Amino acid sequence: MAYKPQYYAGNTIVAQNRRNHMSNNVQKVREISDEDLTACLGHRAPGSDYPSTHPPLAEMGEPDCPIRQIVTPTAGTAAGDRVRYVQWADSMYNAPAVPYWRSYHAAMNHRGVDPGTLSGRQVVEARERDMEAVAKEQMETDMTCPGLAGLRGATVHGHSCRLQEDGVMFDMIDRRRLEGDVIIQDKDQVGVPLDRKVNLGKPMTTEEANKKTTFYRVGNVAYRDDPEAIEWCQKVWELRTLYGYQPK
Amino acid sequence: MAHYNFDTEVNAKKHFITAMEVKYGKEWGSNKQADDIQQTTAKYLRLGTAQNPRKMEMAKIGAEITKKRGLQAYDPLLHLAGIPLGQRQLTPYTLGGTDIVCDGDDLHYVNNAAMQQEWDDIRRTCVVGLDLAHETLEKRLGKEVTPESINYYLEVLNHAMPGAAIVQEHMVETHPAMVDDCYVKVFTGDDALKDELDPQFVIDVDKMFRPDHAAQIKASMGKASFQAVHIPTVVSRTADGGQTSRWMAMQVGMSFISAYHMCAGEAAVADLAFTAKHAGLVEMSEMLPARRARGPNEPGGLSFGHMCDIVQTSRKFRDDPCKIALETCAAAMMLYDQIWLGGYMSGGVGFTMYATAAYTNNTVDDNLYADTEHGWDTFGTSIGNCKEPSIDIIRDIGTWGALYGLELYENYPTALEDHFGGSQRATVISTATGAACAITTGNSNAGLSAWYLSMYLHKEAHGRLGFFGYDLQDQCGATNVFSYQSDEGLLAEMRGANYPNYAMNVGHQGGYTTVCTGGYTGRGDGFAINPLVKTCFADDLMNFDFVEVRECFGKGALREYDRCAGERAFVIPAK
Repeated sequence: MAYKPQYYAGNTIVAQNRRNHMSNNVQKVREISDEDLTACLGHRAPGSDYPSTHPPLAEMGEPDCPIRQIVTPTAGTAAGDRVRYVQWADSMYNAPAVPYWRSYHAAMNHRGVDPGTLSGRQVVEARERDMEAVAKEQMETDMTCPGLAGLRGATVHGHSCRLQEDGVMFDMIDRRRLEGDVIIQDKDQVGVPLDRKVNLGKPMTTEEANKKTTFYRVGNVAYRDDPEAIEWCQKVWELRTLYGYQPK
Repeated sequence: MAHYNFDTEVNAKKHFITAMEVKYGKEWGSNKQADDIQQTTAKYLRLGTAQNPRKMEMAKIGAEITKKRGLQAYDPLLHLAGIPLGQRQLTPYTLGGTDIVCDGDDLHYVNNAAMQQEWDDIRRTCVVGLDLAHETLEKRLGKEVTPESINYYLEVLNHAMPGAAIVQEHMVETHPAMVDDCYVKVFTGDDALKDELDPQFVIDVDKMFRPDHAAQIKASMGKASFQAVHIPTVVSRTADGGQTSRWMAMQVGMSFISAYHMCAGEAAVADLAFTAKHAGLVEMSEMLPARRARGPNEPGGLSFGHMCDIVQTSRKFRDDPCKIALETCAAAMMLYDQIWLGGYMSGGVGFTMYATAAYTNNTVDDNLYADTEHGWDTFGTSIGNCKEPSIDIIRDIGTWGALYGLELYENYPTALEDHFGGSQRATVISTATGAACAITTGNSNAGLSAWYLSMYLHKEAHGRLGFFGYDLQDQCGATNVFSYQSDEGLLAEMRGANYPNYAMNVGHQGGYTTVCTGGYTGRGDGFAINPLVKTCFADDLMNFDFVEVRECFGKGALREYDRCAGERAFVIPAK
């Protein structure tokens, strides 16, 4: 019998979406060109070469090493790319992704990534072209709604604010906004103006977001309505607690 | 594994709703929001700093400073390369449990004289025993110690403690106007001795505490006698916490010499000095290890139990353990977050926001009262009638409190916007959940256990918790919560700001103190861990009001707090 990993407990659509993100069972719903992606990230000029911090590994004459024989370098590592970042803020109003699941998605499905998880933001640092692969995948698939999530390198808060009057997550720097029926971005992650308007696609409707979200909340799928997920969490707590209580 | 019963939800009163209506529904500066915030879709106005009177005052004065000194000073337009603060509504805060409304900036300790005085009053305080010194005088020197001699000694000491000469006339002296906050009182469990001492010098346990608490405290003290010493704020501010016992011991020694007609240089003075500096000394906080580089009476060595006992709300509100916990929460959050972690350890101003969430807008209040009501109703407990802790009880209260707190943020968008960071929300929910469990069980470690369960559930429900640190301490904390083995765990009251897993926990240390408060108030006790500390601060002459902490903070924010000490106005040119 082929092993099928059981990544997460729970019997609701939210739990299923969490499992989908972890196993990379996500659907591509929009196209972001490489140049637009590069512009939004803001690390280098679109179309320019990747800056490097060391020569390609093949030219470095690395020592003979069993670990090096086992581990194939990522593309960015082999080329000597800089380590750069992609950072997201996801709304708490039923955005498809939440910070932990962005991290799980990156760590479980990509190599050479360093995810960091906070409450208002989630960052992945990696060799630049490896990071871009993660960013592109997350931008183009249904784990991101452009109206409920945004690339933010600075002044990230907004995830917890009430949605704007047009349903878009607040952004202090106004990096992206609703124009017509699509979200456009005209500033990079840290708010430096771009020479273009990048079309990020249509925001999800409320109904779509409710079906795609990995966030438990009342009014959609309340956490208390997924007893299996709660009991699993309680079990983890109980086992850790009892393990530490050994009065020998 | 037992299943959680979701049918036991109580319909607790929403204490924070009024605060949210004030915060988002009333005019504040140039903000003109609709009163009915439940039904309105409002546009983000992006009014900048012009919407807020305090920001405008700061900008004006910043410009004046720039002009006067010819060097750039505060200018809000420099924020984020020209995007000023105020792209969303700059809103006021209601101090929890009061009707005081103020600007957030005025809750930073630099802008709030009351907050500064809270810490000043702790740092400049120590307790020192009298009995060892009296034994030295009687047994070694053959002196007679009587109530009359003690009264005279205290008279001398209250002259000398602020920095007056007492033995040698060539000494310079501190000016009384600079040190008028300095004094010494005594307290004892010996009623006969107490009755013979001059009342001006006595902290009368029977008058300051309820009869049951007084009996408990006196039984713990026995017949021993102690001095409650508060050195001048200006001295403590100029030096450090370690100066408190040094300054005290020097003046105590000289006062003994004078009051008991000793030779200023005789060897017995060393016994008195050793007693005052070591053998009979109780400091508010322990000295820290070398890597923290702090002496005693600095906040990093202040145990949660001592912090519980410094706060005095339990003397006047014994039947409201939530009120006691909330006032303690405010005092501890401000001190540990703003001053210890934000000032001593890290620097910067961001730590203020962690603390502010814990004592404004009644959100912790709402959670704590609801969680406690659930615990009491579910387990049939009350003050002094606690239920022995078990995994089942902790699981029940921990889960109920976490879900209640999470759904408060889900149901009330303004509450979510007010606590704009996950670290704030995580601390608020876990503080209330943990304290309620401690109140129900009378056990602070059980409260800590509920805290960690709450953190686990929070992370899973919202897919986020706090900053990186929350993922460190709040994921591994459950494993050490019931261990008392060295280097693994400790009675919660004896843990403190430098406890291994807590040393870098922004937003946590005040919360843990609140949980400890729940333990002793749930039991209905008069003190948490140290009756000497509790009694030392049971004194209305203290500058800071350790009974109504949040009201005191509010007065500071409104610039109405007038019990400041350590001011230099007397010796500098008038403006």
